[in-house]
Amino acid sequence: MILKTFMQPSFLFGFLFILVLLIFSYHWPAIFDVNKEKSLELLTNKYNDEGTVIAVPPFKPSDVPPFGTDVAGKNLFYQIIDGAKYTILIAFGIAFFRVFVSVVIALYSPKSKISYLDDLVQATLYIPGTILAYMLMTALFSKQAMEPMSSTKLIIMQFFILIMIGVLPLISTFSNEINSLLNKDYIVSTIALGSKKTYVYYKHVLPELTEKLVLVFAQQMIQSLILLAHLGVLAVFIGGSVTLFMGEPLEPIPFPIPIEGEWAGIIGMSFAKLQVTPWAVLFPLAFFAVTIFAMNLMIRGIQNSFEVKSRNSGVIK
Amino acid sequence: MKFSLKRYLLRIRSIVFGILIISILPPLLIGYNSMLTAKAWAFSIDNIEFSLFPDIFDKYKYSMTIFFASLFIGLIIAMILTFVTTLLPKFIQRLIFGFLTLFESLPDLFIAVALQVSVIYIFKRTGWLVADVTMFFNKPIYLLPIITLSILPTIQLFKMTLLLMKEEQDKPYVTVAKAMGLGRLYITLRHVFRNIITSLFQYYKSIFVFMLSNLFIVEYVFNLNGFMIAFLYSRGVAFVVTALILALPFSLVFELVESYAGSANRQEREEAA
Repeated sequence: MILKTFMQPSFLFGFLFILVLLIFSYHWPAIFDVNKEKSLELLTNKYNDEGTVIAVPPFKPSDVPPFGTDVAGKNLFYQIIDGAKYTILIAFGIAFFRVFVSVVIALYSPKSKISYLDDLVQATLYIPGTILAYMLMTALFSKQAMEPMSSTKLIIMQFFILIMIGVLPLISTFSNEINSLLNKDYIVSTIALGSKKTYVYYKHVLPELTEKLVLVFAQQMIQSLILLAHLGVLAVFIGGSVTLFMGEPLEPIPFPIPIEGEWAGIIGMSFAKLQVTPWAVLFPLAFFAVTIFAMNLMIRGIQNSFEVKSRNSGVIK
Repeated sequence: MKFSLKRYLLRIRSIVFGILIISILPPLLIGYNSMLTAKAWAFSIDNIEFSLFPDIFDKYKYSMTIFFASLFIGLIIAMILTFVTTLLPKFIQRLIFGFLTLFESLPDLFIAVALQVSVIYIFKRTGWLVADVTMFFNKPIYLLPIITLSILPTIQLFKMTLLLMKEEQDKPYVTVAKAMGLGRLYITLRHVFRNIITSLFQYYKSIFVFMLSNLFIVEYVFNLNGFMIAFLYSRGVAFVVTALILALPFSLVFELVESYAGSANRQEREEAA
């Protein structure tokens, strides 16, 4: 089954893209043969041979190929490559835990109707996830400002918020799915013959759910990527931010700088200065788009492979 | 399934409960109450306080104008595109479908920022301002936000109608019509299209929710000072009120559509039986 999925060209293409991006992200200093600290340091003014300034940061993509620098003067290309691993792994983690937690809860009590849950799901339909996340995140930041907490704890809390937001609707979809499975004839008779509930879940329910689980997981990953980008624009960064003060000494302009180097942070940092450095926002966003496209390709590959399987099983019957 | 007031009221009850629970989540989960310092009937954007009433109604009108204008534009363009596509040869159809997957992957943020930057770039180069790119002195702008907001729904609706069209084209009644010697154009226009529009209603909820999220990003990027921005910055009582203003009309729309689509589907089933 897994082999068949990998044989699908669209799946393979998407998977290879993400794999290559991750490999580059972990080993880029070796691959490009550059020093990591040196290539991520702030660039200063450029001089020509006579010693006059020809360019000042932020550099355009034509000055510092291929992507130029951000507002502060950091090389954008290396930043994006370095941030790929954080971004993809954060999205992966959020999607995985969302699916995992919701499946566990749905399996634990598929038949009991949690009415509070239904209320919450009904209401979250009208409140965009970004607004919900922003509301909780700002409260978290205010709390952190009053009583400082370690960055590990902050990141864990942020993960918890991002996971919880997506779990609720998933629980209701999964419990509907499991309920319809449990009402199938062969499962009813298996239970009637006296098999244990855990056995039925493990042996019958979960294999039937696999297709749905994989698809939902991929979709959740896309959604978390989009959510991350939105939060980045709202200057909410995973791992918190340090506020630098730029501009005139008498009129300081607060300028949040993200600590972790993920793409949403790069976008959020440059978003306020969109007209000065449009490339510093557009290139990370384009990388988001390409990653989401790769995920969509993978989803199509998975769907195709399951279609092939169901067609074959139809022939055998 | 007819529209019943009782079911709608039950739904409203659960929505109100849900919003109340969500509004107390920040102090509940994190233990920091930002509502203590804020006024109940106000929200503040960048430390400037706005009173909730009657400002919110203007914002609501403005945002919903953009929302529904882009929804209808998206729907019409998607229909026209689908219609044109079905008349094209098969391999071009597959090509278009592939491109749609690519465009569907673009984040809403990317489209909004790219449009804004390109309009400014054109202005810088030629001195010709295609459309206003941001709100200035609270003078509302319409053109660019509506275009931006309508792009992604157009793509999604186009893809859905194409898929539905593919399914519909294998059905017996189309074969019968072909056998009767009716033209491809006539069948598509007269018979297939109608059926597609009713099946398109299945997806109304996901499109609405998706567009609400997009509307928020469009308002933020174009600095529109609209309803969703007020929603973003309101806390406590103001949050509950804004959420209800958003949720109640939409839930009525959903309920009406559901009762209508339900009755249409049942009719189909009866016909099939």
